[in-house]
Amino acid sequence: MAKIEVRHVARIEGHAGIEVEIERKKVKKVKVNIPEGPRLFETLVLGKTPEEAVSIVPRICAICSVSHRLASITAFERAFELKVPLATKLLRELMHYGEIIESNSLHVFLLALPDYLGYPNAIAMTDKYADQVMRGLRLKKFGNRIMEITSARYTHGENPNLGGFYRWPSRTELTEIKKEAERLLPDGVETVELLRNLHYPTSMEEGLIFMCLNPPTETYGFTGDSVLISNGEEKPIDDYRKITNERVVAHSTAKRCRYNDKPYIVGPLARMNLLGERLHGKASEAFKRCYSLTWVRNPLYANQARAIEILFCLEEIPKLVDRLLEMPPAEIKEPTKKSGKAVGAVEAPRGTLYHYYEVARGYVRNADFVIPTTQNLDAMERHIQVACENLLETEKTKKEDIELLLEMVVRSYDPCVSCSAHLVNITYKK
Amino acid sequence: MKKDSEIISKPLVGFYNFSGCSGCLLTILNCEDELLDIFGAARVVSFLMANRGNIEKNLDIAFVDGSVTTKEQEEFLLDLRSRTKKLVALGTCACYGGLQAMENGRSPFISRYQKVYGKTGPTIVQAFESKPLDALVKVDHYQPGCPIDGNQFLFAYAQLVRDLPAKPPLAKVPVCTECKWRENECLLLKDKLCLGPITAAGCNARCPSNNTGCVGCFGPADEQNLTSEINLLKSKKFPIETIERKLRIFGGARFANEAKKLLRK
Repeated sequence: MAKIEVRHVARIEGHAGIEVEIERKKVKKVKVNIPEGPRLFETLVLGKTPEEAVSIVPRICAICSVSHRLASITAFERAFELKVPLATKLLRELMHYGEIIESNSLHVFLLALPDYLGYPNAIAMTDKYADQVMRGLRLKKFGNRIMEITSARYTHGENPNLGGFYRWPSRTELTEIKKEAERLLPDGVETVELLRNLHYPTSMEEGLIFMCLNPPTETYGFTGDSVLISNGEEKPIDDYRKITNERVVAHSTAKRCRYNDKPYIVGPLARMNLLGERLHGKASEAFKRCYSLTWVRNPLYANQARAIEILFCLEEIPKLVDRLLEMPPAEIKEPTKKSGKAVGAVEAPRGTLYHYYEVARGYVRNADFVIPTTQNLDAMERHIQVACENLLETEKTKKEDIELLLEMVVRSYDPCVSCSAHLVNITYKK
Repeated sequence: MKKDSEIISKPLVGFYNFSGCSGCLLTILNCEDELLDIFGAARVVSFLMANRGNIEKNLDIAFVDGSVTTKEQEEFLLDLRSRTKKLVALGTCACYGGLQAMENGRSPFISRYQKVYGKTGPTIVQAFESKPLDALVKVDHYQPGCPIDGNQFLFAYAQLVRDLPAKPPLAKVPVCTECKWRENECLLLKDKLCLGPITAAGCNARCPSNNTGCVGCFGPADEQNLTSEINLLKSKKFPIETIERKLRIFGGARFANEAKKLLRK
């Protein structure tokens, strides 16, 4: 029996490994191992007030901390039937765009691009691709700056909470965001072109189910109260347990999910496949230039999807800021209820994120989080299996090349292992 | 091109993470303007989050983000300590156990573990209660924060790569110091619960500057008076349970237990 094992997949957030067992050229077993140390967040929020829980849960993951915060806020506001003013919703949207820009540009430039250009890391790329690295860092910094202004810090900012924001950003700060988005728009266009012109391997291709939230206004976006599924179904987020079907497996401290007993994909590729037609302006032009039916089968195209999302955010931000500048600052709203239960969901950079809470007399009594990476792990394993089967047919493929490709497949999902579980390791045993 | 002699004189550095949100390593990657200098000032031989093909060898400085919650991490940390000259604990998890340590000693670990994973949990790791790095090994430098502050890290890093002392000057004093520099109106005077008086500074008093009390995410300041803070909060009629809960979230079990004794006095 031969075994391919990537013990530590590099350039992802957290710890993951890949293990493939091969017998007579047949793939017997594929496992994405997640040995991440458990932190048991679902128990840490018990006995806390909703405001404390909102401050605790972003610490599940730094890169999607804003999404965790927004998912928990949404859940508590649904549980307490607390309606917030439009201005609050728009400022949250702006903050969310900041996270999408930061996370997508971090992934595209620092984590993914080195594979396609043949480098171990992005810093080493500065010998030939300094302009690209600087472009990535500019975009990333801008995403962070938006989060700093809106949430009070790049990571784990405590300004947003249940009912709104403790401090409203100044007109000067909002205008700074608008001007910077306009200034960086050419970087957004160039990023899509850079990603479009890369060579994408095909050996892992297989069509899987996609899911994402359906934004209420028939636009592209990252919020919604129902889930669009690529088989044509649409389900309310209240049915999240039936959609995700979380289960525990031995080889992972991240749980696993399936829909109709099949692996499914959430994240930028799912959003682009399901909502790409709704884009406008330069993002729509970019989508039309890049999109093909390959996007349904090939997870690596998630990188192009991320680039288009950066462009989408850069185009939307000036419009969003203009609307915010016409509105008075919104006061933070106190909930009138102290008990209730509800699920809240947002599109984190990596896909649909669900937070469920039960609150009784002001304290959290039960909590459940379903994380995008958890949902993608079965799909990752499936694409690794297909890649191995196809690559084993061609005897020529070198071990290092298989390892790299499998790592690229895992990385394309931008797994956030802190959220759920970090690396890939391939060992052949003859 | 750099001369060989220049390259050889650069310290060998590794960046690692255990159980945590990776926010402290992310904070380093978030130093966009300084990122090339960070990598240029040392020979970074291991940084899994940013680099493929890492080498595990003897180091001058190891930076560790996260707390220890599995046997595998414990073994790795012991090995890392044996081959690094300096070990730096990055962030509140590595320094104090992090918020995943807040329930330590209050309920059995196994009952919490089973609540999340069921009776037959994952077998891939041997998990246990969250421990700060210094529960297992000697730590040479502590850089608290949830996450760490980028500027504080840059100060410490610039010192450490030159083999100079790296204590961030602000970890001694509480958040109140920075809050006064920013001329904020004191939230405690407005009867809002704030942990600023006992929490290490270094964040530029971010929360109080946003009209919300300090949550204590940098952990305890060196020069703080816990008794006085507790008496102040009690005099403002905050329930003992609330004070203890707030102190526990980032303060870690040791700090919370100290507080508990003082609270019952």
